[in-house]
Amino acid sequence: MSKKIFVVIKHEYRKIVLKWSFLIGTFLLPLMGILLSLIPVLVFSIKVEPMRLVIADPTGKIKSKFEKALNKSNSEGFSDLENESTESTQERREKRTPVADFILVDYSTDEKDEEQIQRELKAKILNGEIDAYIIIPRNFTDTSAKFELYSRRAEDVLLNSVINSALNRAVRAERLSKTNISEDELMSLMSKVNFSVKKISNEGEEKEGGSYFGVGFFIALLIYITLSIYGQTILSAVLEEKETRIAEILFSSAKPIELMIGKLIGVGLACLTQLAIWLFSALLILLFSLPYLLAKGFQIPQISPAAVILYLLYFLIGFFTYASVFALIGSAVTNMQEGGQFSLVPVSLMLVSFYLCLVVIRDPNSTISTVISVLPFSAPLAMPIRIIAETPPIWQIGLSMIVNVAAVFGIIWLSSRIYRVGMLMYGKRPTLPELFRWIRES
Amino acid sequence: MENISIRAENVTKKFGEFTAVDSLSVEIRSGRVFGFLGPNGAGKTTTIRMIVGIIHPDSGRIEVLGSSSPELVQNKIGYLPEERGLYKKMKIVDQLRYFAALKGVSRSEIDRRIDYWLERMKLLEWKNKKSNDLSKGMAQKIQFISAVLHDPELLILDEPFSGLDPINVEFLIDIVSELKSQNKTIIFSTHLMETAERLCDDILLINKSRKVVSGTLRDVKSSFRKNIVALRIIGGEKVLIDKSLVARLEENSDEKRVFLAEHADSQLLLRRLINDGATVLKFELVEPSLKDIFIEKITDPGD
Repeated sequence: MSKKIFVVIKHEYRKIVLKWSFLIGTFLLPLMGILLSLIPVLVFSIKVEPMRLVIADPTGKIKSKFEKALNKSNSEGFSDLENESTESTQERREKRTPVADFILVDYSTDEKDEEQIQRELKAKILNGEIDAYIIIPRNFTDTSAKFELYSRRAEDVLLNSVINSALNRAVRAERLSKTNISEDELMSLMSKVNFSVKKISNEGEEKEGGSYFGVGFFIALLIYITLSIYGQTILSAVLEEKETRIAEILFSSAKPIELMIGKLIGVGLACLTQLAIWLFSALLILLFSLPYLLAKGFQIPQISPAAVILYLLYFLIGFFTYASVFALIGSAVTNMQEGGQFSLVPVSLMLVSFYLCLVVIRDPNSTISTVISVLPFSAPLAMPIRIIAETPPIWQIGLSMIVNVAAVFGIIWLSSRIYRVGMLMYGKRPTLPELFRWIRES
Repeated sequence: MENISIRAENVTKKFGEFTAVDSLSVEIRSGRVFGFLGPNGAGKTTTIRMIVGIIHPDSGRIEVLGSSSPELVQNKIGYLPEERGLYKKMKIVDQLRYFAALKGVSRSEIDRRIDYWLERMKLLEWKNKKSNDLSKGMAQKIQFISAVLHDPELLILDEPFSGLDPINVEFLIDIVSELKSQNKTIIFSTHLMETAERLCDDILLINKSRKVVSGTLRDVKSSFRKNIVALRIIGGEKVLIDKSLVARLEENSDEKRVFLAEHADSQLLLRRLINDGATVLKFELVEPSLKDIFIEKITDPGD
């Protein structure tokens, strides 16, 4: 390797980083992530049209309880008795925007039998007077009683849940009134126990458990997304040089292996730059919101410096493993379309590795997790997760490193053989036997 | 003994079953313009790629600028490939800087040279434009610049004139002449014979992977035994169709070119024409042009 490789690295790095698309992408992706996570919130807070509801209560006993319960369920969340009774959750639950406005339409059930009530109410729905009705069964405190909501807006699961929750509360209140237990007594009877999880690590330390799932998942996702984007980048960069025939001039100026490795490193550095920007901004946000988060009981996951170094190493391994495959594809195909088709191979590998990570998250120390964290292609995603959860034995990390680094060298070697020949072949895409010949001939 | 820039000995290159270059041997002298001539698919580009070090021969030796490994002397070689392109969305100046840096031009020199050449090609105002803003002709000039930016000893141009309009062809010829006067060795391949004739000192004619003829332009022309007569005449048709005298007749707009048959005597033709009562306006023995040699050799390789 001469210093020409640095020329290539610098060129490739600047080609990516000095474009507007880099800056936009750096800010766009987290923005999209935030938006996507906000969608559920948005969905829940959209104000829909008020629902005109009839509660036909021939018994006359439950209607008022239902009205009260409806308000509660609407603005305080669906009733889950166990959750409701815990003190801390009660404190934490703030009033939120009502899911919808309910208009309770009066309807008299006097002197009417079931059939008639059904008919009349159904007619009211059909002619647009009301949106929904419930006919309270006479035996409404029995557990066998069926409550059916007839609704023209049956698809709005939120509304249905509010009504369901209100019914639960109302019927419960009625049942309670027949006993000697008040609502408050009931609450304390149903109190949940105070339950928390503490992890015993290999060193016997106690740590807060539970937050690692999120972090592990997040890291795997981050690596996955980054590798996808930059894999594409390498593919199109290689293909551009092939299609424009620039490869001929480049090959007459430097050794093909220098060109290829320079490209991988240059793009890799650009990728790291982007990740660094993201992590840095995430840290800033974290720092600013720290007081707020701590008050809410947020635990800072503890990550040792050694772990960070290992993450970096595994990220690099993952990058070079997948990027070399993309470079191989770029130099073997003849246009972007073919390139896209064959990209499915590494992309599928990435996807499978990502799903395997979920296995690892659930049981980091099982045999299968160990295997997943040693095999090339899957290790770069899986091992960091295991390290967060519980540092695996050194020998496993060592083995994984050796296997993966060897794999990286092997794949780069393979790719460079194909790169040498493929970049100058402009005609048909090579068949598999031809590919093997290229590898041998080089 | 003149300096030899490139020495090829029995170089062969196959691609699978197909032989692209077959036992080619040639010596290319430095400081001269060398023409690689031949039809498409003859093996010119493959030979050039081997000289430049992009591909390697299956057998035989190639020595370039004293080194048997072309990669070691890449910085001294300038190469303009036949199929050429530029990065699509990159500024001209950035591309040229990259190519120059890869050839080992020092950072301080690069910008000075880029400015010089852009000025020379009258493209200075396009320095910071992106390559997709350029017309095809302009792009080709930029590509040429990238081949000479590092002041190479040896300049190799593969079909440099293809796609150039006549003005730019002249422009390129001027530059090549200028480079030659700076004692650079220039090799170019082309199938445009008229242009080659104007520029080349030495030539090599290649067809179907084999060398057909090589040597200085002078020698090749004079060894070509065919005589050609430039003829302007009224009448004499009967004589002109006599195959013992005339092998081939080329009709141009204002005069004919008579390719004398084997062993035919030009003076005999003249006498016969006059005896036949033709009015001879012009009768001139001319040297075969490179094109004539080319056509002759390609269609009738046994000479």
